Amino acid sequence: MTHKPFSRNFYSLLVCVSLLLIFVSTKSYSQNLIIGPKPDGQVFTARVKQFGEFIARFNFTADFNGEPIDSLFSAKMTRSKMIFLLFDLKDKRTISENPGYPDSFNRLKSDFVVDVIRNKYLLKKNSTGIIAEARAKATFNGKPCLIRLFLNQETSSGGAVKWVLLSAKSEIFNNLPPDTTMVRFIPPASNETDFMNLKRALEDTGHLQDYASSEYEPDYLALFFYLIKTGQIRYEYVEETVYHIIGIPGWYIKVRDFNRNELNSGWLITDLKVNSLQLNDFLKTL
Amino acid sequence: MINKPFILASAAVLLSICAQGQTKTAVTSKQAKLADEINLSAADIEVFKDQTKQKVEELQQYIVTLGSKDEPDEKRNMAEKEALKLFYAGAQMEISTSMPDGTVQKINRPMSKYLARLKSLPYTKVIIRFYDIAYVSNFTKGPDGKYYSTATIIQEFTGYTKDDIAYKDVTKKEVEIIIDLVEDKFFQEKRWKIFLGDIKASETKPSNQ
Repeated sequence: MTHKPFSRNFYSLLVCVSLLLIFVSTKSYSQNLIIGPKPDGQVFTARVKQFGEFIARFNFTADFNGEPIDSLFSAKMTRSKMIFLLFDLKDKRTISENPGYPDSFNRLKSDFVVDVIRNKYLLKKNSTGIIAEARAKATFNGKPCLIRLFLNQETSSGGAVKWVLLSAKSEIFNNLPPDTTMVRFIPPASNETDFMNLKRALEDTGHLQDYASSEYEPDYLALFFYLIKTGQIRYEYVEETVYHIIGIPGWYIKVRDFNRNELNSGWLITDLKVNSLQLNDFLKTL
Repeated sequence: MINKPFILASAAVLLSICAQGQTKTAVTSKQAKLADEINLSAADIEVFKDQTKQKVEELQQYIVTLGSKDEPDEKRNMAEKEALKLFYAGAQMEISTSMPDGTVQKINRPMSKYLARLKSLPYTKVIIRFYDIAYVSNFTKGPDGKYYSTATIIQEFTGYTKDDIAYKDVTKKEVEIIIDLVEDKFFQEKRWKIFLGDIKASETKPSNQ
């Protein structure tokens, strides 16, 4: 008979303790909100997190933690090794198991690194030879379209820096096909009639460019500004940014963000070519 | 005849007057001229780089608090209010999502709306963790006289419905950092202060690319 109250008390206590334990464990789990290290922090450290960090690593001025390179670090890691790590190591052109592997890209990479090291080439952070291509989503007369905006940096005498628009490219601007028939022109004697033929030419709206000089090059940036201003283009946002770099004499490198959870990730070199073009001519090739 | 400190002080006052009504992408020509005269030394910039990390940690702690359903409402409201104070007026949060077809969709929200949403997410429990590392780039002076930099942080978010994980992601956040000259009303002087600007958030992909 005395057992029952004890039993009841015991079970009540057990329930209370259990509830308390559940409460405490839940509470401590929910309180797991502290800022703490993660197992793949190594990936974060190795990842080229920002384009500026790409430049710092390329120039061998910062280690993986963003700290200035000291003798201890440089004893383990040379600049050439660091630059090799700035390439996309999954580039199919560099993997010998791939069919049609030519090895030429690997040779080009080696030549590039040797040239950079031998000549101690550095990438200037605000170089005009760094061209950012912002691939922007927009609509043109209500239809979705992609517009590629090219920007580089301008530095004032006071050292202030800003990005400026250089040019714009898009499929929507490609409505100016070149005249191959040579049937559209303003006749040679038109000047004597106060260019009466101009009216005829300017009514030929699908081929206006054919009446322009053979050296005529459309200014797509001006066109872009106009279409934005008139509301025909509605800008949304940049989907992706890639960098075209011609700031290293004799070379062109393309850098983009590889968003993957691996050591070789972030802003990496995705293409490399020999280049001799200056900015304006180079822009035309993009 | 006019000494340098006087020019700097006058410039600072004019800067603050001009600052009203301007946007981050536009300044008056007068202000642009004055901005050239006020510079931070390399040593100052290094100090600000360290302070930036503290500022970013402060934001992380506020986000953790206001996301947590276990915290009292008052504390979460306070965290929201204090977090907003860290930002430059008009700061936005851009969240990008990778779609199954490989395209990226982005949504822009004012920071106030982003923080308010974070507080009222439809989960019974939210756990937000940050990696204890942040990368802060060097500061560069802009034409408006302010100094700009970017901090990169990684956030792990887990939303629970009862005991089940309803949503989980790891996002990389690029936080714009701005050092601006502001008026300290108490001491009646101008001083440089760190603000957070726009944030770009993108999900880090576990798969190979």
